[in-house]
Amino acid sequence: MDRRTMLAMLGLSPALVAGSPAYASTAANGAPDSSAGDGLIAVLNPGIPNKLATRYPLAPPLDNLENKTIYMINLSWEGPDAGNYFYGAMREWLAQRYPGIKTTVKVTADGMFGLDPAILKEMTANKADGAIVGVAG
Amino acid sequence: MSRWAKQIQTQLKIPAIGVASANVVHYAMDYDYKFSNGMPVRYVAVPFPFTGQPRAVDVGYVTGKDVLTGQPLMISVIKALTDPLTAEEKISGASPDEARSSRLLPSDTEENLRRLFEEKGWTDYNWINLPTEKRVIEMLKGTSRKSDEVIKTIDITGGQRQLTVEKVAISAVMAGASPEHFPLILALSTQAPFGNSTSSMANMIVINGPIRKRLKFNCGTNALGPYNRSNAVVGRAFTIVSKIVGDLRNNVNAWESLGSNLQYNNLCFAENEENLPEGWDPLHVQMGFKPNDDVVSVGIGWTSISSVGGSQSLYPTHFLMRDYMRSLSASGSAATILMDPTVAALLKDTHGFKTKAQLTEWFSQNVEKTAGSYWGNGVIQSTAVPFALQGLEPYASWKTLPDDTLIKPFTNPGAIRVVVTGGKVQTTWFVTDFGLRRGMKVDDWA
Repeated sequence: MDRRTMLAMLGLSPALVAGSPAYASTAANGAPDSSAGDGLIAVLNPGIPNKLATRYPLAPPLDNLENKTIYMINLSWEGPDAGNYFYGAMREWLAQRYPGIKTTVKVTADGMFGLDPAILKEMTANKADGAIVGVAG
Repeated sequence: MSRWAKQIQTQLKIPAIGVASANVVHYAMDYDYKFSNGMPVRYVAVPFPFTGQPRAVDVGYVTGKDVLTGQPLMISVIKALTDPLTAEEKISGASPDEARSSRLLPSDTEENLRRLFEEKGWTDYNWINLPTEKRVIEMLKGTSRKSDEVIKTIDITGGQRQLTVEKVAISAVMAGASPEHFPLILALSTQAPFGNSTSSMANMIVINGPIRKRLKFNCGTNALGPYNRSNAVVGRAFTIVSKIVGDLRNNVNAWESLGSNLQYNNLCFAENEENLPEGWDPLHVQMGFKPNDDVVSVGIGWTSISSVGGSQSLYPTHFLMRDYMRSLSASGSAATILMDPTVAALLKDTHGFKTKAQLTEWFSQNVEKTAGSYWGNGVIQSTAVPFALQGLEPYASWKTLPDDTLIKPFTNPGAIRVVVTGGKVQTTWFVTDFGLRRGMKVDDWA
């Protein structure tokens, strides 16, 4: 069933359905041509499709936190202070419950923008077991 | 954050979780993961705001709740580090391409198409010209570039979106531009998308060269107001191109806290080169271009402070400019001073600034603010603290100063620009924190 027939059966005039004051074209702009003469207009698509990112799996999780070495990376979003307070409290919390845990806070050299190779090198040398990165805002 | 977590996991093969404020965590988990990072990083979330709070608040977040799950934050942290991986979290490899979008949209009524364009976030919610093939073909006549030429691939937030000449033509039609505007809009598009961050940034567009006259840009009275077609449609085209190629949708990939009304037109205007005092070069000539080059320059910033009234003999104009500049962040040492030609004449003839460079050198030496005020700005904290921590001067020394010590934050006079525009109706000026990047030749896109 074509559109006009369907609308007619519903008691609706295609012209009334198509025209609405909110979207009526102004005389200054001029109405785009309806190439098929049926009130429908063909336009180019402004949209640009997104490419999905390549997928990377997570690293294997820890079995527990006992005697683990955990790095806390402070990205210094709007400065390092808030992150340092936060991580300081987090270290205390963990130390009370996991006496053998070792935690280290590192403030990144390039703030939130770069990847700090020196920190990654240190984590490798110290056999880090896990990391907490933040705080993004 | 997500880049760090991914780098640690891929390089060190150990778990890394992210901590984010509530304002950005959903972006990290959704858009960033799908189109940029590709790794399903585990996150915990604290309330927003995180920075700028008393110490006790940040400390309290540790014993508070994870905004994502409602459970105690530290339980979420432990679970994120120790829970077994799900099937989703083990996936690796290339993602299937999203279905290619068609060049033409399905034919529809004008009303439905306008609604679709708004729903997709492709417009600035003002009336647009629908981009029929006829209109786009006409627009493309403004350039010799091929319609399928890729101007740039935007991947700032992921997605690898390709901006072609035809896509820019579509945006230019929507904005109401004419084919003669198109080379300029193409040049501008190399700078798309416009600045977008939680800080509510905006943009400035300055036109120089003979193109100002050919396209009848306004650089006289109301140069920055809604009184001229070229000023309006070129600025607007940059907005529409930026929204489309940046995939900027409210609360999806665009999250400026207040937003900026300047994003409707991006402060698009032309320099009044004909009324520059002798010895004061146009902006593009200062940048190294020839006087007859058609150049467009784009800058990012946030703030504009008006002189409000006219210049006063009892208090020199440049003194008041200096005073107002103290309120700017001095991020990147950048500022742009916009002034009426009568102000430029005053500064040269009465106050002896024979060139723009002499004036900006004077500002660099005389604008002072307290160290506390300088470091009290969040953008400065994000961008300049790393320099201080790396021992770079003067930031390293400034970081050790008492808060009330005066510093001169505009260390680079070359980053302070002076642009003359306006109609000689009042000795008005604006000091702004917009940092203008090196301009682009429009001829390259003709």
